Amino acid sequence: MLQRDSSFAKEALRYGLIVIVLGFIVFPILWMVLTSFKPPQDVMVSPPRFLFTPTLDNYYHAIVDKNFLFYIKNTLVISVTSTVLVVIIGALAAYSFARYNVGDGHILFFILSTKMFPAIAVILPYFLIFRNIGKTDVGRFLGIGLDQPGALIISYTMFNLPFAIWLLVSFFQDIPRELEHSARLDGLSRLKVLRKVVFPLAAPGIAVTGVFTLIFCWNEFLFAYILTRQKASTVTVGVESFFTLQGILWGPVAAAATISVLPMMIFVLAMQRYMVRGLTFGAVRG
Amino acid sequence: MYELKAVHKRYGLAKVALRKIDLTVRDREFLVIYGPAGAGKSTILNILAGITRPTSGDVRRDGVSILRVPPERRDAAMAFENYALYSHLSVGENLAFPLRARGLGAAEIASRVARISGILGIGHLLDRRPGLLSGGQRQRVALGRAIIRPADIYLLDEPVGHLDAKLRHKIRAELKALADDLSATVVFTTTSSREALALGDRVAVLNEGRIEQAGTPEELYHRPANAFVASFVGDPPMSFLSVAPRREGDRIAFATPGGMPVAALPARAVESLRDEPGSRIQIGFRSNEVRLAGPDDPGTLRGRVDVVENLGYVKIALVGIGEDQVSVSFPASRHLSVGETVAIAFPRDAVHLFQNARAIAHAAPYA
Repeated sequence: MLQRDSSFAKEALRYGLIVIVLGFIVFPILWMVLTSFKPPQDVMVSPPRFLFTPTLDNYYHAIVDKNFLFYIKNTLVISVTSTVLVVIIGALAAYSFARYNVGDGHILFFILSTKMFPAIAVILPYFLIFRNIGKTDVGRFLGIGLDQPGALIISYTMFNLPFAIWLLVSFFQDIPRELEHSARLDGLSRLKVLRKVVFPLAAPGIAVTGVFTLIFCWNEFLFAYILTRQKASTVTVGVESFFTLQGILWGPVAAAATISVLPMMIFVLAMQRYMVRGLTFGAVRG
Repeated sequence: MYELKAVHKRYGLAKVALRKIDLTVRDREFLVIYGPAGAGKSTILNILAGITRPTSGDVRRDGVSILRVPPERRDAAMAFENYALYSHLSVGENLAFPLRARGLGAAEIASRVARISGILGIGHLLDRRPGLLSGGQRQRVALGRAIIRPADIYLLDEPVGHLDAKLRHKIRAELKALADDLSATVVFTTTSSREALALGDRVAVLNEGRIEQAGTPEELYHRPANAFVASFVGDPPMSFLSVAPRREGDRIAFATPGGMPVAALPARAVESLRDEPGSRIQIGFRSNEVRLAGPDDPGTLRGRVDVVENLGYVKIALVGIGEDQVSVSFPASRHLSVGETVAIAFPRDAVHLFQNARAIAHAAPYA
């Protein structure tokens, strides 16, 4: 009996702790979601109200008046394009580093070293570069310039590549060379070996890299804020636009934030299976 | 026919894997490369496969250099020592991989997979992922993937090393039968003397990147070129006794440091014995060429039993004589205990003679 009591106490303690931790994590999200459904008079009252008449006015304001789905579309185009570029360039680069030890480790270190200064340190040069490129015909044609998606796509690709390469190098190093040798002997050319053996084996790592990159792009604020005005603005900039001179529109802010969180949440939940497999490594063993 | 001509392979600056070796793989032969771990066995296979390029030297197929032919155009099939299974594919897909890569039809693939998985006893595992298999099962899949398709040459890197004794015996026999059946050219590496002798049409003994001797199992066993081959081929290995030669008419007698003559050979048979002061002369013999003698028999050497190994059908005693240790086989029905003093009788003419670890003469039956 005694034993049962003590194990009960243990369980109670365990769940108690879980509830506390969950509270810290979930509460801000809960607050955001609840606020997005609150009428204006219920938003800033203290103590906060958990029972109120829900309304969709905030969503109407965000989506129809402020055209928030336009920001979602921009963000989607910019994030997905950057992620695809990062994964393709990163995987090929990481494979060469892992297999051929290009640059004897020095180039790999140099690539990482580009992450060693804060992003804001380069924002001014970036701003000037994109402003000038944007004035040229090529820049206009490719959409590279201020307030154009190309500027953010290039910036995000540039900023995510070092991390992606470092992450992927270790995944490729984990794949035994004999697997590639074996595939060569089985009759596959060098490129086919990459496609049929190496990349499928590194898939969990590539998935993890892609998810991290996409999340970073989706949530990035600084570059989006400086390099765009209106046409190419992303969700983070969009949410910020509710902070007006007349005051902060908390209800629509919460609605917009909820809308911008949803796609990532759904995406990450869908990818969870691959993520866990990738994060635990060791998935590749002959 | 494949030929390695003065193939030298260095990894980095310091590590030499192969030292200017010459080796011929004849058509339709089962060549075993036998040597201790780290001798360079896998490097030879990798060079034949085209995975590794020799530092210098040439690799020829039917007289034409294939150094620049990439692995996928060499028509070699290889089983890797560490299996190298595709972990993202099932066992069945692993086996089918080389066939798919060559564009065979689905029906042909299915029938070959069924046949090979049947021979190797992995038919029930076809749907599993390699990660869920035991070491022995993975090894059989790796072997199956190598032998599933017709190839110009099969390179098998210790393909049965991780199997248990019974399975190893069975698969070894199957492999030999299959190779004979297909008239396939096989290069097989092993660290087991028994495997080398049992399987090889020819055996090349490799040590520290050098080929110590290449020949038929009989040649290696009965006429080893040097002390390394003698002590490495055969189980138990050949034993050695240090001796000093002394001329006795037209014969040369060899006696232990204690003065006990253990062999005498016609002077003609040991012509290549050089008169070098300080050189090391050894008599070598197999455990079945000496026998336990009665305590009062003349011409025997006395020694102390250090170890007794029971092999079931026979027992082997390791007997310390002076500085040397000699293995003697004796009937399993007899009992010997460690520490006991025994007398050993030597065949006075059936011996192998070594000078500075190089074979000088193989007497009587093996001459």
